[in-house]
Amino acid sequence: MGTKDDEYDYLFKVVLIGDSGVGKSNLLSRFTRNEFNLESKSTIGVEFATRSIQVDGKTIKAQIWDTAGQERYRAITAAYYRGAVGALLVYDIAKHLTYENVERWLRELRDHADQNIVIMLVGNKSDLRHLRAVLTEEAKAFAERNGLSFIETSALDSTNVDTAFQNILTEIYRIVSQKQIRDPPEGDVIRPQNVEPIDVKPTVNSDGVRKQCCQ
Amino acid sequence: MEGEQDKASFWKKNTKTVPGRPSPKRDVKSIAKGKPAGATSFQDFQASVSDAWDMDDDDICVISGLENAKISKKVSQSAALNVLNTHRNTTTEENTCSDTSRKAQVIQEVEQVRSRIPGRPQQLLNLNPPQEEDTQIKLGRFEELLVNSPTLQDLCKLSWSGIPVKVRAITWRLLSGYLPINLERRNGVLERKRQDYWTFVDKYYYTDHDETNRDIQHQINIDVPRMNPSIPLFQQKTVQIMFERILFIWSIRHPASGYVQGINDLVTPFYVVFLQEYLSDNQPFETFQVDALDKGKLNIIEADSFWCLTKFLDSIQDNYVFAQIGIQKKVLQLEELIKRVDETLHRHLKQHNVSYLQFSFRWLNNLLTRELPLRCTIRLWDTYLAENDCFATFQLYVCAAFLLFWKEDLMRERDFQGLLMLLQNLPTQHWSSSQISLLVAEAYKLKVMFADSPNHLLSNAGDS
Repeated sequence: MGTKDDEYDYLFKVVLIGDSGVGKSNLLSRFTRNEFNLESKSTIGVEFATRSIQVDGKTIKAQIWDTAGQERYRAITAAYYRGAVGALLVYDIAKHLTYENVERWLRELRDHADQNIVIMLVGNKSDLRHLRAVLTEEAKAFAERNGLSFIETSALDSTNVDTAFQNILTEIYRIVSQKQIRDPPEGDVIRPQNVEPIDVKPTVNSDGVRKQCCQ
Repeated sequence: MEGEQDKASFWKKNTKTVPGRPSPKRDVKSIAKGKPAGATSFQDFQASVSDAWDMDDDDICVISGLENAKISKKVSQSAALNVLNTHRNTTTEENTCSDTSRKAQVIQEVEQVRSRIPGRPQQLLNLNPPQEEDTQIKLGRFEELLVNSPTLQDLCKLSWSGIPVKVRAITWRLLSGYLPINLERRNGVLERKRQDYWTFVDKYYYTDHDETNRDIQHQINIDVPRMNPSIPLFQQKTVQIMFERILFIWSIRHPASGYVQGINDLVTPFYVVFLQEYLSDNQPFETFQVDALDKGKLNIIEADSFWCLTKFLDSIQDNYVFAQIGIQKKVLQLEELIKRVDETLHRHLKQHNVSYLQFSFRWLNNLLTRELPLRCTIRLWDTYLAENDCFATFQLYVCAAFLLFWKEDLMRERDFQGLLMLLQNLPTQHWSSSQISLLVAEAYKLKVMFADSPNHLLSNAGDS
């Protein structure tokens, strides 16, 4: 119910996307409630959770939208990409197909999300070592080529889950605060209670793969 | 965009491969126990033609003119639109019919007309006394009705406020339109339908799947093991395989939608009700080991679940087609309804940027199965089935009543996150059928209140 963490400096909207069954909902429940269900129900449409973290002494509240993986839900879930400043694109390291589909999800983001959205590629279920089907190096190289950050996680044993969220939120925070230094705050700066879409400039050191294109 | 291509190939493959598929290995047939002589069954028909569809059923999704394999996005969308229009038309018919009945009511046929809307005023009277005490009397009334060929109206009227477990299975079969009301036809139809189902299974399930069907199968296989994780019944391998077959066959017979996540949950009430037919009184289904039942009984549970699901979903198929337009429309209608009924609550939600889609999508997609304990869902579906063809509209009023039920708690929440967290996890764990009776009574009141102004749902609901 109404948690008392309603005081924050920044509010960032983040979406969790990726194929069905890769563990999006468990990543979310691990991060927000420290819970894991081996057999959690499939997500219908979109579900929501939130958690606040500290970066540089600032409170950052993450509003995270967990989406259904099935293609039929795209029309509904794509509506939630709007205004999102970050996306965790999740695949299952033990199911190669879910990794192959990453490109499709990127296209989906390109079509529906803000062009400057910060994307992190997440290889989940890293605890399934003996079943690994996607090499870490391969995914890492793919992420680099596409200007994404990359991490492997296990929602089951908690490995890197907090780090993943922490990293993407920090990255967004850096971009936003840099922007504030460059362009002194006016109307469009994020303030508490302001849930408006945030304009995030592209990562400064990205190698130009995600170039700003016409809209 | 690849998504588009997929959509196109989805249509293409289904229409191309399903009809006229090479004959299946017929010897796998497990329950084809000597079919009645003379009754040229579906199997014979199907074997002789290249058309896979049983014309009695779900013609709704048969989209003509798709013989040509290359299908553009435009074509597939207009086909989807066809489906939607068909639905819209039938809904309008229903509306007009209840409208005319209102006028007729003024004339003398009051009784008859009332029975068209099951549970009208009589219903409200029934809701006052607690249900438990008259269970025996009610069971008696059901049994009396069922030994003959009852009228559907009588059966709806009696069922609306809940059906005793003992007669629920047969009543659901009748209400869903799967089992004919006419006593003499019943056995023949049941036998034929059950055989038909197993023919589909042989023909489509136990054969090589093309890519589209493999995708469907894959999605079903992911979803079935994780439904109702807290109920041991659904963790049994035998049960899961039955669900996989039901969902797969339903999907290939409904190419306009195919399997959509959540439909698996909609099988569970049927499955449990038909299983309960073989359980002794008060034996909890949750922990029952289905392997204790013989194969014949399991086959009946499976086939009947399939057919009743099929009938049940027929009136809401636009919920599951491309873009899920049926649901989007209902979300708007729900918003419009709440705005009229409870401006305070509506404003409260809006003030905190909560949109109806964010919480009611799942209510509508899963018909509240995710929001209620399974036993409550089953009780709720007594009423849904008794609403018959009007249940899609009625469900909207149930959702409205459900939202209003939580008004006090919602008004206490002071921000977006609090509201949404509550709306996603409404505390119904301890609900029983009495809460459901209350819920449907409230829904019924809303329905009556707004039945006189059918346009209220349309005003701003984008139904231009």
